[in-house]
Amino acid sequence: MAEKKRTSSARKPAAKTTPKPTPKPAAPERAPIPVRNPDFPIGVDYYPLDEERRSPGDWYDRDVDADFAAIAAARISLVRVYASWRVLEPQVGQYDEDASERLETLVTAARAHDLKLIMCFFADDRLAEMNDVPWGKRRDPRTDDYLIQRELSLVQRVVNRYRAESAVSAWDLANEAFLSGFTTEVALEKWVTTLREAIREVDPDRPILLGVDPETLLRATGVDPRGAIDLCERATSHLTAPYRAYIAEGPVTSGPATYTDSFLLRSSLRDLPVTVDGIGVHSLDYSPSEEAAYVRTALYSALMNRASGVSLRRWRDLEAEKREPYFRDPYEVLVGVIDTAGEPKPVLAEVRRFAAVAARMDPRRYALAPERAAVIIPAERYESLPSLAGLYDPRACLQAYIAAKEAHVPVGIAREGDELGAYHTLYIPSAAKLSPAMWADLAAFVQGGGSVVFSYGGGDADPAVREIFGVEFLGDGGPRHTFTCRVAQPGVLGDLASFDARMELPHYARLTGSGATVVATDATGNPLLTTNHYGQGKAVFMATPLERAIAQNDPWATPTPVRRLLRTVYGSVAMSAGAGAMIECDTPEAELAHFLGESDDILFVLSHNAEKMTATITTPRVVATVQDVRGGKPAEVGAKAFGVPLAPNGVAALRITFG
Amino acid sequence: MSVARSSQVLAAEQLAREGKLPAAVEACYEALAIADRDPLAHVLLGHLMLAGDFYDEAIAASTQAIELDPDCAPAYLALGLAYDRRGGMWDQSVLVWHELAEVSPNLVTAHVQLGEAFAAAAFEEESVDSWKRALELDPKEARANYNLAIAALKREGMSTALPTFRVAGELDPSQDELFFALLGLPANDISIDPATVGPLREGRLFAAGMLARQEDYFGAADLLRLLLDENSEDVDALAIAAYAYLKQEATTEAMACALRALTYSVDMPTALYTLGVVYSRFPGLSKHAARVFIALARVAPQHSLTHVLLAESLLGLQRFSQAKRAYRAAVRLDPACVRARFGLAAVHLTEGSYAEAQWEMRRAAYYDTKRHGLFWRLFDEYVAGGDA
Amino acid sequence: MSSEEATRLYQAFVDQDPASAIQVIERVRSSGVPQVQLFDTLYVPALSLLGGAWASGAIDEITFTQASVVAEQIGSFVMPPVAKADTGVTLVLGTMHRDRHSVMKDIVASALKEVGYRVNDLGIDVRPADFLERLEETGARVVLVFAETMATARAVIRVREMFAASGRDDAVILVAGGPFAADASLARAVGANGIITGAESALRVLARVRTDILGGEAS
Repeated sequence: MAEKKRTSSARKPAAKTTPKPTPKPAAPERAPIPVRNPDFPIGVDYYPLDEERRSPGDWYDRDVDADFAAIAAARISLVRVYASWRVLEPQVGQYDEDASERLETLVTAARAHDLKLIMCFFADDRLAEMNDVPWGKRRDPRTDDYLIQRELSLVQRVVNRYRAESAVSAWDLANEAFLSGFTTEVALEKWVTTLREAIREVDPDRPILLGVDPETLLRATGVDPRGAIDLCERATSHLTAPYRAYIAEGPVTSGPATYTDSFLLRSSLRDLPVTVDGIGVHSLDYSPSEEAAYVRTALYSALMNRASGVSLRRWRDLEAEKREPYFRDPYEVLVGVIDTAGEPKPVLAEVRRFAAVAARMDPRRYALAPERAAVIIPAERYESLPSLAGLYDPRACLQAYIAAKEAHVPVGIAREGDELGAYHTLYIPSAAKLSPAMWADLAAFVQGGGSVVFSYGGGDADPAVREIFGVEFLGDGGPRHTFTCRVAQPGVLGDLASFDARMELPHYARLTGSGATVVATDATGNPLLTTNHYGQGKAVFMATPLERAIAQNDPWATPTPVRRLLRTVYGSVAMSAGAGAMIECDTPEAELAHFLGESDDILFVLSHNAEKMTATITTPRVVATVQDVRGGKPAEVGAKAFGVPLAPNGVAALRITFG
Repeated sequence: MSVARSSQVLAAEQLAREGKLPAAVEACYEALAIADRDPLAHVLLGHLMLAGDFYDEAIAASTQAIELDPDCAPAYLALGLAYDRRGGMWDQSVLVWHELAEVSPNLVTAHVQLGEAFAAAAFEEESVDSWKRALELDPKEARANYNLAIAALKREGMSTALPTFRVAGELDPSQDELFFALLGLPANDISIDPATVGPLREGRLFAAGMLARQEDYFGAADLLRLLLDENSEDVDALAIAAYAYLKQEATTEAMACALRALTYSVDMPTALYTLGVVYSRFPGLSKHAARVFIALARVAPQHSLTHVLLAESLLGLQRFSQAKRAYRAAVRLDPACVRARFGLAAVHLTEGSYAEAQWEMRRAAYYDTKRHGLFWRLFDEYVAGGDA
Repeated sequence: MSSEEATRLYQAFVDQDPASAIQVIERVRSSGVPQVQLFDTLYVPALSLLGGAWASGAIDEITFTQASVVAEQIGSFVMPPVAKADTGVTLVLGTMHRDRHSVMKDIVASALKEVGYRVNDLGIDVRPADFLERLEETGARVVLVFAETMATARAVIRVREMFAASGRDDAVILVAGGPFAADASLARAVGANGIITGAESALRVLARVRTDILGGEAS
């Protein structure tokens, strides 16, 4: 957690100069309006080919300067470009001068427009065949020793040429499409280590990164890349099309789809700064307004959830060949922010507006309120088939994350085995099993004053359940087709209400209280929700894997009372444990991010709804004024509550002063 | 010739039929550990992965089954459904459904799915042909009708599409089920012999309702007459009579009975239902239908179909945003309501939200195909060695 | 109008006398009851009486059926009118040149026709000159241009330019399609007077155009 910095240090008085006699008083000096935020750069992927009919040899054979001028004008500061091994080294050991010149053109254009390049060495865009060296004899460039030696030569050659080049900001070893060819963690880490060492021989300082999201690659290949990512200086988070189809297949402007980018970002946040890249829709099915709405949500989600920067999926739409029977291309690198004619799309206007807001977010002046609650990803998530935990758990965790967001709890994501000391509240959604060490950690966590919400995930319960949660587990009652809740103790876990809803529940633990308070039951009195004081803390047990059930039923059509139950329990537990938010909101679908400052605070309110709405914000202190972050006249409030009108998928970035 | 099943496959099959997903998956892996080229183990695994909405895994397993046996019809079904539910794979989907429709020409679902795959790929004529083929096989195929309504909406607007929606809705058994749910009948059918029904009012009403559900309208009429002879203001009897007339296409008699019932009890849900359905058949009575269905949704908000009926009447008045709210209420109550999903799709189309419309139709297909339980039929036929 | 007229209508049903039934309706209509109210004020109570008579056994099943046939027969006399009154407003609409998206256009056109607009649908892939030609031909003052791609949305400016060149600056251009829904400034940039985001929005915007721009007049 970054400490909040005092603004006074950032505002040193200017050195005194001899005062000049002026006949008229000088106009009041205005602080320059920032255009870009160096601490939160906006980037874009600049692919080598924009038309499907072009051949791999046409790699960056275009007017790069004009494109980079437009990119810079859009307040984008980072551009990821892709080296083509095939073009640069057409024959073994022989580098093509013309190709090297084209690379130089990229660098020169970046320099000319004050852009920074991220040079990606080994990427697959499914079009330019960049790693398909004709002399490679179909050997695997990831594992073949000879090819890896040639890769080292290429990388060192490029790095050596640009090691003093200020227009290059980082070296990206490979993109996810290339990395998805690895079949083991060992092979991946070995490859990364080898390339990294080769770069470091030539360039000891410039950051090295690996363009891969730890969750999406694991899902696609079964290879956990975290060890390899940890060898680098920066991390990446992004949503791929297959991962979207797995985690939240549905409309992109409402429901779970609007939380997936920040969920992956939060999952990627460990020790390294994380850039959210690949922001954009995955197919041409969406209208320009849906594209813009989705990108807006993803950009602001990143800023509101501790990203260190963002990057757009593609600069220009790929001009795909029209062929029967489909007139669209399934590749996910298809959709850009300008169209095939080079004209900006509405999404680019969103990027500009976002840049104007992000430019005003000086991390030395404003710090995001700390997350003292976390969703825990169980270790079983890393198990492969036939265990289904690896398939169920990410979906359940996403639903838990959404419930916490709907309760306006500042929430992070941690993994079983992580240090838990920074948190006051933990949500463990629908886990079938935890390790003995985790149970011990949990017991210590609760005893020490932490709160935990645990939902039963099926199978046998660990003996620790009895100790921590104060319930006697009598076995799995099996699936149910309706979800019934009867509140036995109103007010104990928030404002719960009884209901009956049509919903498939995969398991239902048969329980008896063994010290715990039964807060809610099913229709016939079987405990549904219990709470137990254990040591200094509180342990809440949910008798059914509710987060998994929401994910596996239809997360876009979850019965209203069910979603309300989950967020009420999450919110109430966090609040009583001191992990709740200082600022409250009456609208679950409005996500809040509260940045604390010295003289003023900044509040982001992001709508996860494709309909218009007004969110009422309540603060513990009287709000004096509210003002759009980008400027304008402050509105006088003089109350502890005020309404924020939000357009469909809209966002408000507000500067707040307190009276 | 029947296909031999190993004991591991039998165990997996048993668990899969019982819906025990984790245990069944484990059993499949045990079967594959012994014989990794057994198409039955792969097809079961594909089905199980599909049941868990793990589409990439379902595609992998079903593809493997087809590679091992190109005649494995249940694998085509699982594969096609996985492509469709995952979305964005219409090219593959067309091929699979086309294949299955060839192999099993009488398989209605294959034609409906093929039509949807064609529609997603903008082959409108081919899609309409597929749905018409499905209706030739089963004139009550609700989803084929709804798809045709959507196709009509795209070409000719809501005024043309709405009657098709209503026809589809009335063919859909769920609409009749709503009436009986409003009446308070239990879900299961009980055999009734009118001659043995006792003299008590409740027993007669129950029996009349049951007989009406079993489409024995004469039997029901006899009991209703007895009830009305005892009390001509018996609103329940009048409401059942209205429904029975409606089902016999005697709309004026139905209207007369429903209106009479409502003069005694203005919020009577069963009478409101019948009156609303009658009104909605007349384009000039759109406002009347909406008024009646607003009242019905208010007195019976727990039934998703009351919101659907309201939404459809609002479509007739071109109040699309209100219709969307009503459809959404229906979907929240019952995500599997195919009719509400298609209605929502129609509203999205009026707003130019094509992707959302497409998604609602995919969800409709998702629930509809889950409900059919077609996999086990094809699986059993495959194991028995017969044609699907 | 009183319940006596409803009773008379009911009696005409029971007597299987459609001519009398029509007379009752015409009498009530001439007394000042508008067509849209006949169903509720006359027909509904008459049918309720009919239902009550059947329920009480005052009429038998056969009479009930025959009376219902008569009621159905004269139903068209009491039905509220289906079609809305002609607004007198002529509209020209079509999808922009090089754009083949038709769904939104077709749905909007149908919705507008239903409420009484005179719709000239030029179809898809319509050149600016064709919009102008039809505008001149019909005397319309309102044009709806649909475009779903960025390129065709931007090209709508050619319609405005062509209208201006022909002295038709008074024409109201309304635009519809994803690009305009995403970016309102695009509509202004192409010289449009308003944006339509769907069928219901079309009805709303056109109603406003009628009152604000056309002053409630037909055109």
